[in-house]
Amino acid sequence: MDNIIKNFKGFLIDQGFDAVETDYEQRGYHLEVVLTVTQVREFAKKAYELGFYLVFVAGFQVLADPETPSPHSGLAVVYQYARHDRQYRIKACALVPDSLEIPSISDIYQGADWHERETRDFYGIVFSGHHNLKPLLMADMDVDVHPLLKEEAKLKSLDAVSWPSEAPESTE
Amino acid sequence: MLESEYQEQNRFFLNMGPQHPSTHGVLLIVLEMNGEYVLDPQPVLGFIHRMHEKMGESRPCPGFMPNTGRMDYVCALPYNHGYVSLIERKAGIEVPERAEYIRVITSELNRIASHLLWLGAYLLDLGAFTPILYGFDDREHILDILESVTGSRLTYSYYRFGGVCQDIDEKFVERTRAFIKRLRKRYGIYEKLVTKNIIFIKRTENIGIVSPDMALRYGMTGPNLRGSGISYDIRKNEPYSVYPEFDFEVPVGRQGDCLDRYMVRVREIEQCLRIIEQALDRLPEGPIRSKVPKNIKLSPGDCNFAVEAARGELSYYLIGDGTSTPYRLKVRVPSYSNLSCLPELGRGILLPDLVSILGSFDLVIPEIDR
Repeated sequence: MDNIIKNFKGFLIDQGFDAVETDYEQRGYHLEVVLTVTQVREFAKKAYELGFYLVFVAGFQVLADPETPSPHSGLAVVYQYARHDRQYRIKACALVPDSLEIPSISDIYQGADWHERETRDFYGIVFSGHHNLKPLLMADMDVDVHPLLKEEAKLKSLDAVSWPSEAPESTE
Repeated sequence: MLESEYQEQNRFFLNMGPQHPSTHGVLLIVLEMNGEYVLDPQPVLGFIHRMHEKMGESRPCPGFMPNTGRMDYVCALPYNHGYVSLIERKAGIEVPERAEYIRVITSELNRIASHLLWLGAYLLDLGAFTPILYGFDDREHILDILESVTGSRLTYSYYRFGGVCQDIDEKFVERTRAFIKRLRKRYGIYEKLVTKNIIFIKRTENIGIVSPDMALRYGMTGPNLRGSGISYDIRKNEPYSVYPEFDFEVPVGRQGDCLDRYMVRVREIEQCLRIIEQALDRLPEGPIRSKVPKNIKLSPGDCNFAVEAARGELSYYLIGDGTSTPYRLKVRVPSYSNLSCLPELGRGILLPDLVSILGSFDLVIPEIDR
């Protein structure tokens, strides 16, 4: 099992992804992949080809810090993938740039459709290329209400939540 | 008149729900119809959206326990199980073995209750009134057993970080054994009444076929995925709690139609009984709760825990920031992904078949809307 994980990590690094092994007993997943915005779709395609299914897409907010080497809007998207045939769970994450736009993967994984709409409802992240980004769980009239955005005073920096384990090189 | 004009004239919209009995809750499906054929079914969600995730982020982690029982109210104990296990993994809390056995026994009882309710409700959707009365009769016994130890009959909040809140006694064991015996006897009734019924087979066989690829693209899990022939059960594939110690099978279907999904659930009930039986035989003595700090600190960093709920994979994903309140709590519920394939699956089918498909998915709407 360890071998497979190691090989898979090597495979991802060869493909240009930033992959780190994690302790399953503590974290509940085997591999953490930090994606740049352009890699989001590329990674989803690879995952689909290799037979992973999409567990969920979720948003996440931290304190935006324009002074770091990689400026970001403070929003991030987490993708989780898993397999049917063996125990293997991947967390992939990407920081959302200031434009609040991140490419949609709903044409690769149709199941992402609703997850992305939900994330837009809760955080206002725009999934570009999504065919129908209307409010799903929220009402139509609350299109600009994003309940999971925190007040500035309650926001923590990326370091304070030690997330992701390794800082991405750039978000473009 | 041209064929296309005729088609256009016969095109109309139909609202199925939000009070339609076969949507099992407040789910609205806007159907674009052509005569009796469904062209495009679009589910509209959010009627009972309560923003559980926000509640999880706004108070210390023990405060979220009652919420976990209120998402999937039909099978609440696996939701309890997932949440306590998540916090235990995050905070490094040990659980006594007896407590894990009690968790497994009660969770599996709850799973049977959920499948029995589904069986009755599904048959009711298909026009058979009697099975729900039998299903409720059997389910009532489970609710009585669970009530004696958890104190509630539906929205359980029984598990605690580091164990469970009340020990099971001899009477509980006795009653559960009696129930197992009873339910095994009742199989014959269900078999005769439902499984071999020609009308039931006509309404379910070859209807709503979910291919393995489609199940993968939509992230379907649970009996709906296993109906398509993929043997994927978190209890086996990503074992948690004491499940690896028990001998049980994962039933799978052949082609992924409504009948397969039905057969998988019915056969799963027997596997649940086997797990409970083994757990009762080996039930260890000892404490039911370990010592847990009063103020649980959630260390910085994220953590995930997946369990097999009655409808599929339930994942809790938490990001901690060093306080006792989760910084982010995501709940991934199975029915949400399971239902999302409906627009693709329901294209071009007859309206009565859509009712059959919806029923076979075993949807619980408060879980989807959260």
